[in-house]
Amino acid sequence: MKDTVIKFDNVTKIYKLYSSTRKRLLGIFLKNVGYKKKRAVDAVNFEIERGESVALFGKNGAGKSTILKMITGVTFPTSGDITVNGRVSALLELTSGFDLEFSGRENIYLKGHILGLSDKEIKELEETIIEFSELGDYIDQPVRTYSSGMKSRLGFAINVNIRPEILIVDEALSVGDTAFRVKCKEKVSEIIEKDNVTLLFVTHQTAVAEEFCTRGIVMKNGQLIFDGGVHEASEYYKEMYNMN
Amino acid sequence: MKSYFDIIALNIREHKDNIHQVMKLSVADLKKTYNGSALGWAWAVIKPVFTLFVYWFAISIGLRSGGDVGGYPFILWLVSGMVSWFFMGDAITGGTNCIRRYSYLVTKMKYPVMTIPTFTSLALLIVHLILVAVVILIFWIMGYPPTIYLVQLPFYMLLMFLFFNSWSLFAGLISAIGKDFSNLVKSFNIAVFWLSGILWNVENVADNKIVHTILMLNPVTFICYGYRNCFINKVWFFEEPEKLICFVCWYLVMGFLSLWAYKKLRKEIPDVL
Repeated sequence: MKDTVIKFDNVTKIYKLYSSTRKRLLGIFLKNVGYKKKRAVDAVNFEIERGESVALFGKNGAGKSTILKMITGVTFPTSGDITVNGRVSALLELTSGFDLEFSGRENIYLKGHILGLSDKEIKELEETIIEFSELGDYIDQPVRTYSSGMKSRLGFAINVNIRPEILIVDEALSVGDTAFRVKCKEKVSEIIEKDNVTLLFVTHQTAVAEEFCTRGIVMKNGQLIFDGGVHEASEYYKEMYNMN
Repeated sequence: MKSYFDIIALNIREHKDNIHQVMKLSVADLKKTYNGSALGWAWAVIKPVFTLFVYWFAISIGLRSGGDVGGYPFILWLVSGMVSWFFMGDAITGGTNCIRRYSYLVTKMKYPVMTIPTFTSLALLIVHLILVAVVILIFWIMGYPPTIYLVQLPFYMLLMFLFFNSWSLFAGLISAIGKDFSNLVKSFNIAVFWLSGILWNVENVADNKIVHTILMLNPVTFICYGYRNCFINKVWFFEEPEKLICFVCWYLVMGFLSLWAYKKLRKEIPDVL
């Protein structure tokens, strides 16, 4: 039986590029304000089943991040349908998504509440998260005082420990020192195997992707140009890269 | 595109499903406002008391005006209306910035955007409740114990909350697109303050029918006078139904504008912030 967790059906995303904020503001009230269209994602179709781990390759501007943002439900497609079943945990730009005025601990609760966890559930996870993040006493300091490495560690620790069903990793495994990177990789492998988590992985390092993933998708200029085994996808991507 | 009824239904559902988060976030919003200062929470009271003192000084001592109103000392008349303005003034400017202030809830995670103005307004309401308690206490200390008319105070609070909640959604969405709008609101805020009979009694211009009527149509005046009706004038809200109806009309307009803004901008906001 097929158990599709993510389905993209002819999805297109067009960004409206106004030449100035003034024009954008006018565009709310007037119809005839001109803007350029940027097709970030162009008629993309794919399905991902539960437990699959998929790598997404593509150069900067190929539309990878837009796809991930649409899966997390942060941004919306201009046309087409997206179906997502399951709690999404996204490791997008790890250093952001915190309330800078709050301490690390308060941010754990905030994120937990927003994701719909109860106080009791968060309390159970709290120690694991703090331990994983290796922040020690800093956990009670405001996040604005953290270095980017500390923020990334906390972001990673929260996102992998809140029992996600779909995990989205965007270049996130390149944070911190080698020891922390190794720990992250182990944790990701562990939750993929143990909890049957679906993984979406974006990276430029094809070798890392091949470690985790079984399937690969290659994007170019907003279009899906290859979808298949991770090794083939990786080869395809490297060739494309070398040609240019 | 969804119809307005769908958006209303969605609005109710988002609030129902997230009531727990909304409560937590409103408390968090207060912490965010008052954290990082040594006196912390005390500022919630110090700031308004100071403002009140300055206005009282300017009018009573400086302008040698401000005699008793309806048998109450001017300072009591002033504070009873002013307390509502402390909420409304903050809601007008704060509401305009609410979505920018919480941009990470829009761009970094999936969060019901319509509840953002709700929890920021709720945070203001918590401070407001404290201030109202202080005002009741001041009246009492000065020899005016609470009367039965105070029971309609929660009603006016509810109207005020609902109106400015709609305003915050509308203004927050527009100013997320361009900061110009929040600058516009800041200038406009001063005009609203001086034209709403918070510092001076609108009844003073009662002989000029047109000006008086226009001033009375203002929803901010309605709330401010509602508060004074409870504390000073001893008037029930149902004794002046035409004013209430006028306010409800304003609320419907504001509600429509907020839904229009949501419908128009919800999908664009994450790409812009």
